[in-house]
Amino acid sequence: MGATAPPRPGNAIGRMTGLTLFTPIRRQWLPVLVVGFFLGRFVPLIPHHILQFNFIKFVRWTIVAGLPGEKLNYRYLFFESNFDGPWQHYIDAFAYVIPTDIRITWGRGIAFPYPPPAEPLKAWIARNSMEGGTYYCAYPEASTRMVRSALEVRERVGALVRDAERLGPEEFKAAYERFLVDNQVHL
Amino acid sequence: MAEWRNRLGGAYALTVFTAILPGHEDALRAHLEALPLGEQSPLARLDQLHLSRIQIFDELVHQHPSQKRETLKSSHLLFTSTFDGDLDPYLDAICERIGPQADAWWGHCVGYPGTADRAAFRRYIRAHKVDTSLFASANQNASVPVVRESLAVRERVVDFAADAQGLDAAALRERFLAAFGDLR
Repeated sequence: MGATAPPRPGNAIGRMTGLTLFTPIRRQWLPVLVVGFFLGRFVPLIPHHILQFNFIKFVRWTIVAGLPGEKLNYRYLFFESNFDGPWQHYIDAFAYVIPTDIRITWGRGIAFPYPPPAEPLKAWIARNSMEGGTYYCAYPEASTRMVRSALEVRERVGALVRDAERLGPEEFKAAYERFLVDNQVHL
Repeated sequence: MAEWRNRLGGAYALTVFTAILPGHEDALRAHLEALPLGEQSPLARLDQLHLSRIQIFDELVHQHPSQKRETLKSSHLLFTSTFDGDLDPYLDAICERIGPQADAWWGHCVGYPGTADRAAFRRYIRAHKVDTSLFASANQNASVPVVRESLAVRERVVDFAADAQGLDAAALRERFLAAFGDLR
């Protein structure tokens, strides 16, 4: 697959794209990753940085020590991300906004191109992306931002309903208009 | 292995690698790529499932001449899921709702016992799962039903706002409570 090729059906459904990579980890870098991922659960620098982008639904990293029936020379890093839109846009954001996080995670991987620029990284991802198969999302037409907005709106509408039951008509109308203004960005 | 590694809020990240029986690769590939998508996918019958990907993994990319070349002895089936709740109820849902479909893909894999023997199926998946090192989500505490309901409510609010323009205060309040009273 070339760096600019569209995703195959197994990688995309609706607005969603799935990206999976399986790349070797240098032996001397393994302890750093183990500690980094462990700390990432409690000092959420990596997840916080990556989820600053409002187009990622779920992302996971897994250090794979072995595969059934295989004797491997390296530990591998399995990466799966599920996000809105084509992965080329996703990688642009990664390469230019959080290059340090990317370098720490994959930078000691074999033949990993240090971003920025983004193009060598895209070529590396195109080489390593696992293609084909089938892909499912329970809400494929809803972008990550739409989901976040919908969750906000759902909570605030519930609060407005409770207010409506105790407010008079004019007070409610004022509260409703405030609700629309405050939630304009989510609608 | 520790289940907590696969959890984030109410979500669970499952990653399963299983070796494909020799000679079954093409049939499995054709089967996976012919599976219906979206609401017609068998995976849509799993109410707690946010996302899933099933794919064949048949080579390790040789990264650089300095790397010792690695060759897989067999192809592998990779099954990943992100779902609400615990692993065992999810595996039970697979057995109950998509047993024949799950058997149709994992049946191409070495040692697969089938979903008819639920305990053996659970043991097989647990034996082949790889625990997550780090898992992150934009909406870690929102279950599939909550996300779907919220998306529907958002649409209802947009429609209501358009329809309710120009109503007087009393009618607005009455119409609002009629439209959204179920959300109190």
